[in-house]
Formats: sequence, structure tokens, C-alpha cells
Amino acid sequence: METLLSVKDLKTYFTTRDGIVKAVDGVSFDLHRNETLGVVGESGSGKSVTAMSIMRLIQGPQGKIEAGSITFRDQDVLAMDEEEVRHLRGDRIAMIFQDPMTSLNPVFRVGDQIAESLIIHKGMNKKESFARAIELLELVGIPKPESRARDYPHQFSGGMRQRAMIAMALACDPDILIADEPTTALDVTIQAQILELMMELQRRTGSAIIMITHDLGVVADMADRVLVMYAGRPVEFGTADEVFYKPQHPYTWGLLDSLPRHDIDEKGDLCPIQGQPPSLINVPTGCAFNPRCPYAKDRCRTEVPQIRDIEGKHGAACHFAGDLDFFRGCAGVTS
Amino acid sequence: MLKYILRRILQMIPVFIGVTILLFILKAPGILPGDPIRMITGEKEISPVLYQTLIEENGLDKPLVQQYFIYLGKLTQGDLGKSYQKDRPVTELFANTYPNTIRLALAAIVVEILIGVGAGIISAIKQYSFWDVLVTLSTSILVSVPVFWLGMVLQVIFGIEMKKWTVGAFYLPISGMSGDQFPAWVHLILPAVTLASVSTAYAARIMRSQLLEVMGQDYIRTATAKGLRHRSVVFKHALKNALIPVVTFIGLDLGAMMSGAILTETIFNWPGVGLEIYLAIGQRDWPIVIGGVIIVVFAVMIINLLVDISYAFLDPRIRYGGAAE
Repeated sequence: METLLSVKDLKTYFTTRDGIVKAVDGVSFDLHRNETLGVVGESGSGKSVTAMSIMRLIQGPQGKIEAGSITFRDQDVLAMDEEEVRHLRGDRIAMIFQDPMTSLNPVFRVGDQIAESLIIHKGMNKKESFARAIELLELVGIPKPESRARDYPHQFSGGMRQRAMIAMALACDPDILIADEPTTALDVTIQAQILELMMELQRRTGSAIIMITHDLGVVADMADRVLVMYAGRPVEFGTADEVFYKPQHPYTWGLLDSLPRHDIDEKGDLCPIQGQPPSLINVPTGCAFNPRCPYAKDRCRTEVPQIRDIEGKHGAACHFAGDLDFFRGCAGVTS
Repeated sequence: MLKYILRRILQMIPVFIGVTILLFILKAPGILPGDPIRMITGEKEISPVLYQTLIEENGLDKPLVQQYFIYLGKLTQGDLGKSYQKDRPVTELFANTYPNTIRLALAAIVVEILIGVGAGIISAIKQYSFWDVLVTLSTSILVSVPVFWLGMVLQVIFGIEMKKWTVGAFYLPISGMSGDQFPAWVHLILPAVTLASVSTAYAARIMRSQLLEVMGQDYIRTATAKGLRHRSVVFKHALKNALIPVVTFIGLDLGAMMSGAILTETIFNWPGVGLEIYLAIGQRDWPIVIGGVIIVVFAVMIINLLVDISYAFLDPRIRYGGAAE
């Protein structure tokens, strides 16, 4: 399988008044053609910052990619100058953002905003690019695309705006589509439509998708492989089936166990993971998850666990990966 | 849109009626001290017969309510009455002075746009740089400098201290002494800078804060992620959004300047409406005061209407007259 993108030991830090925020602290993964990678984690686990780092959208001087490498088709993304990065953005790697209500510029017509990518990357003129923008709007299922392309974003509903964002992202046939919580701000019914649309378009265009979400359901539906992140670090990595059916990290297990389920005859109490995500300025020593982990032992408090084999089909950053006998429900939780 | 404009124009009628009533109340006995007839004669003793003739000549013998309706009747024909003092039609007086006010206002607006908006943009895109600090600091000082003080200081510096180099070009413009060797716009520089000073500082601050705010918006990230040059992101995607409040401010300011800058016009002896009305108040020359205020109110309302219409071009979210879907 052709590797499109390879991220190795990426570290993106932000300097704040209170100290250095290690938003992304050693993330590695590969992305192949035609593949969907799900990146899962709570708010603040570094999912979005990972995506922004790949697009080189981290704003200096506060934010900085401190270490690691990002390789896109044998090109070193971190070594690129601004002009080279510009040709990558929107053309080879495109991004869909979380909130479609605010991600479109309110003072430009939707069609023009889609056409803009084509003008800068494909050298089309205004007329050609606008015609193509209409085709793209049709492709993403906007009715009456000819007149809709002349509308302004405020005349679109949330779902339609996200469709327009997808049309914009797909305009130049990117190799990689990064979707940063594309459905979080939408109604459940619209969510399903948007995800369906993305999967269908992937089948047609063959682009790889990085799906960033905190919604395990979305990942289960879409992803071929899954990366679970916690406190800026990868904690589990593997094929979707492996991660969902045989989770090895207590955090992944906790996430799955905290989902409401209708197939298990229990009182229906939710069992959340106890405690709060750690501050990224003072990450706990050892395993970042140890204060919340019901299985934590002394070794977890001193030694940072590593994912041993990221090339393989499954790995977890836990000293006891594979040896733990997870219990279900809230039984082991002392609250 | 047309319906909206028509409605706005119709709304002007009650405003005019309200303004004229308020102005006529000033004429009522006991509201403002001072007798306009005595002002005409320079407070000299005159015979009761002459006094009575002057009263009748100027229509002051009739009851105030009747005077008001006579005035309204003439107003509909574009007649604003005659000045007590100058014995000339008010329309003719303002036809002479209003162009001066417009000239000064437009010059001040140009200063505001070029320097204010320009400094604001530079300040925002070079945030925390030397230029940003300079702009932030100088605008803080400028907003707190009184206009009359600035006007006088500029006159002292350029008109008196630097007279050798400026050859009086900046001193007492228009009515000025030796300005002939300079084109007329040179005389506009000092009054325009003075009039624009506070607003320029505000315009720069609004521009800076708006641009910085817009640069943090999600759609700016989208534009960058699309692969646009930073320049296009700032000047195309950000600026059009950031300009909306700045246009509002400058538009309202233009309206205010059209009403004549009393302080600036007085300090620079600039023969505009502000100075004209100011002098007329002192002389209780009611036709000039009332007529001048009516002209000014009309001008301000027209400008405000133009500003409101211009929003629709800048911001597509604004549609007038219920045309939006």
C-alpha cells in the first residue's frame, strides 16, 4: 500500500503565560491511499493540533512544532518554505473544519469561495472555476447548484454549509482530506448524511481521510484504522476492528465502556472515566493516564509507556497492554 | 431597496417638523435672553416707531404659532427667510458657506481614511512591532487632545514659528493674507488635520481591533488552509469584514462634519456653516440659526442614509426592505 503521509514523533508545543503546553507530544502514524484513519480523543487531547501541524497552520510565535517529522509523498513538510506549503494546502491536503457556521467567509458568495481554490491551484479563470464550483456543489448534493453558488453563506443551513465546505475541500482533488470534527456542530440526521457523503466521495476520488472526532460511533462507521489520543500522546493504534473489539489500553476501554449501550441488561447507568483530563502544562509523570486508571501500578507513575510496534496492526502505550483483564461497568470504580 | 429608501425619506418629514418646533421654541420670549432687533441696531437707542417697523418687517409682530406656520409654508417653497442682520436670504448665505464646510469635511475624511485606516491596518498586521506601539501610543494621546488646542498649536508652529518656510500659507486660510502663491488645497491642510485628528485616532484604533478580531475568525483559517497567500488572506478575506464597522464610524463622522465644525471653523476662521451658525446665535439672528440647522439636519440625514445603503454592498447579510429570503 502506498504511504501518502507519515508522521513521526510529532511534538507541537505552545508557549503560554503559565508554561509550555505540550498539545501534541510524540504522535506517530502512517496514512495510506484510500484509507480512513480515525483519530479519537477527548477535547484537548491534541487531535486538532495534530491536524493543524500537518497543514502547517500552527500560529507562531506562541505555537511551534518542536520535533518530529511530517513526510508527504517523500517531501519533508516541515522543511518546506511558505510558498511550498501554500501549494500543499488546499491542493494536495485539504481540511474540513468543525463549525460550518463560522468557517465560511460571510461576505463572499459560496461559489466564489469554492472557486478560489481552483483559481490559485489549478490556474483556472473566474468563469471556468465558477462553473466547476457549481459542479462541485451538485456533487455534494446541494439542490439548484447554479443559483445556490451565487448565495452567501448566511443563506445556507448548517448542513448545507458543511456540504459547501466539503465541496471546497474536494475542489482540487486532494490526496488527503482532513476532517476535524466535521459533524459535531450538526444535527444527528444531518451528521449521518454528511458522513455518508464523505464515504461516497472517498469511493469516487480515492483520497485518504483523516477523521478527527470524539464520537466513537463515527469512527466505527468510517475508519479503517484508529488512533486513540490522550493528553497529546497516542495511547492506542490499530485497525478499527482490533481497537473496538480487543482494546488494550485502559483509556480506550474506558471510552468504550462509557458509551450508553442497549444490548447489555444493566440499569443503564453511564460509567464515565473518573477524573478530568490532565493539564497539558503539568502532565502526570509516567503514563499520563495513570491518575485516572483503575489498573495503575507503581511503574505507571514513573515510566512513560511507549507504543512498541506502530507498523503492526495493533499497539497500545500501556506497560500492561495485553495482560489486563478489563472489568465491565462501574464495578471497579471507587467514587 | 427602493422601498426602503423611500421609507427613509418619508421618515425625514417628522424629523424636520420636530426640529423646527424645537428651534421655534428658542424664539419664544423668555427662553433665550436678547432681542434680535436691538442686535441689528447695535444696542443703540432707537425710536419706538423704527423699532416697530423693524419688528413688522421681520414678521416678529405675529404670534409665534402663526410665525411657525408661515415659516413652514415658505420652507416648502425652499425659502428659509431673510437674515435680520445681513438683510440677505438665508439660502444665499448658506449657498456661499456650505461648499466651504463640505470641502473641509471631505478633506478631513480623506485624512481619516488615508492615515487612520492605513495606520490601523499596519498596526494590526505588524502587531506588537515598533509601528504598532507607535500607532497605539500616538492614537491614545491624540484622542485626548482637545481640537481647539491642537488647532492653535498647529497655527503657532506652522503659521508663526515656521513662517519663513511656509510663507503664511497655513496662516489664516481663505481670508488669509499671502496665500495666493499656493493652490487652494494647501489652506485646507491644517484645518483638515485639526478637524480629523480625534476621528483619525479612533478610526485607526477601530481598524486595528477589528482586523485583529477578524484575523482570529474560523473563516480566515479556512482561507489559509485553502492555500491562499497571506497577503490575499489579509487584504481580501479579512479586510472586507473588518472594514464594515470602520465604514460605519467614518460615515457617521462625515455626517457630523457636514454639520459644520464649529471649533475648527472658528479657530481657523473658516467661513463654513459652523462659524456662520455660531455667529448668528450670538446675534440672535434666528433665520440663520433655524435655516442653518435645517440644512445641516437634512445633510446629516442624507449622509446617514447613504451610509446605511453602503452597508448592503459591504455586508451581504444586510438586506433592506425585506428582500432577503
